[in-house]
Amino acid sequence: MASAERPPVILRSLDLCSRAIRLARKIRSDVVSLLDSYVERQGLDKNISLDGVDSMPTAAVEHWSELTEAERLGNNLKAYRIFQTLLAEVLEDQRTHLTPTDTNFHESIQSVMLQVSALASQLEELLMLLEHSVPAREEVEGTADSTSRSMFEKKLRGLKVLQELAQWSVRSVKDLHHVTKHSHSSSTVHVSHQ
Amino acid sequence: QRHSQQDTRVQYERIGADVTMKCGAMDWDAAVTWTVNGSDIDESHLNGSYLVLRNVHLGHSGQYSCYEGSSWHLKYQTSLKVGTPPKEPVLMCRSNNYPKRFYCSWHLPSPTYIPNTFNISVIHGTREMVCEKEAVPKNRCHIRYLQLFSTVKYKVTLTVTNALGRNSTTITFDEFAIVKPDPPENVVAKPVPYSPRRLEVRWNNPSSWPDPESFPLKFFLRYRPLILDQWQHVELSDGTSHTITDAYAGKEYIIQVAAKDNDIGTWSDWSVAVHATPWTEEPKYLTTEAQAPETTTSSTSSFVPPPTTKICDQEKVVGS
Repeated sequence: MASAERPPVILRSLDLCSRAIRLARKIRSDVVSLLDSYVERQGLDKNISLDGVDSMPTAAVEHWSELTEAERLGNNLKAYRIFQTLLAEVLEDQRTHLTPTDTNFHESIQSVMLQVSALASQLEELLMLLEHSVPAREEVEGTADSTSRSMFEKKLRGLKVLQELAQWSVRSVKDLHHVTKHSHSSSTVHVSHQ
Repeated sequence: QRHSQQDTRVQYERIGADVTMKCGAMDWDAAVTWTVNGSDIDESHLNGSYLVLRNVHLGHSGQYSCYEGSSWHLKYQTSLKVGTPPKEPVLMCRSNNYPKRFYCSWHLPSPTYIPNTFNISVIHGTREMVCEKEAVPKNRCHIRYLQLFSTVKYKVTLTVTNALGRNSTTITFDEFAIVKPDPPENVVAKPVPYSPRRLEVRWNNPSSWPDPESFPLKFFLRYRPLILDQWQHVELSDGTSHTITDAYAGKEYIIQVAAKDNDIGTWSDWSVAVHATPWTEEPKYLTTEAQAPETTTSSTSSFVPPPTTKICDQEKVVGS
């Protein structure tokens, strides 16, 4: 039997997973500090109730451990695609209405946007590598009527976007660890069958 | 001979209260005898046939009986329990086996000396969650996570009630905030042969942590020679072993490890402390000198040379 090398696909997916984990962690730490500066600049209380703010991908999930690999990665990808659009909206609100002169703040939002876009690409690549179907791109709800929102609603919405993104970044790390764990075990099974 | 015919009732009174007991339906001026736990009570405590206890304290708790003067018929009996209403309870919730469950535990800041009942409610958003009580410890119950990665806060309310009053406390927390693993287990520290400044430390994930692959832990190691107070620290983001490379040669070290989920929650308590001393070279004897008695030293025990032996290569032994 050949020495216990892992199939290239498994190695490639493990590498992609670990890079995506590092990126998700980076997003998390950036979003957590962005949240602090966001509430400060908008004059909001961090614990303000955001129950009324909806139409965004919530990280909360039931029966997490029972999700399939395709569901796990697919849900992540769909979420980050939507976050790309939502973050663009938040940035537009800040530039146009809420903090028009605070370019440093805008750059920190933009930095997170770029990372979210990179993570979405990595997730897409991972799905294809693991031979799962890649979810189709969906029209993001809520963006169409963003102009009709009040300033306060725009502030709350931005806060909700960042809160959910922070939560999603943790979920992604755990999802990707879960995928890694199963890649390890499936590659061990694969090697032992050779 | 005293006749007992009454069911015992229980009467709760606050510490410091004044208590008056009537002898059942007996008139105020009826001749009666009061006993507490079978012993007669001094007449000074009587007001007519009423028993009067002023500024009661715990010592007043007991079985009080009143007998009709001549027939010794039992006319009244009560079990007096002196205590206090409950103070605001102390409530804490924690998950040491995330993402399976979390538990809430509570205690009263001071005893009430009388029975208390506890009721806990756990609300997550609009959903009330079941808190599965345990036989032991009695003041703890577990909640199964139905949802993970939620931004919705948990609200836990504990209500404590006894015969003298009621109190409650409420805490609100985020899902991640209460994640705190148990300390690492089976910590072992060993000298590294031929390396006088190294110690190899190994440990295990806490066995209560259900899925270390999907929820990897990072670790914090602290170590110091017993002769110093200042700890040295090192954070390790993966793996369950570490080699200390800057130990003082020949000095006994104390080592502890703590754990934390890589992304959420807080650090565990420190593990049990372990001790180890780095490897030290066997002291060499000059063969031409009088043969010093052959002392067997193991590399980890402290070596005390017999007075006649000449220490050779002093630098090699200390701090090479």
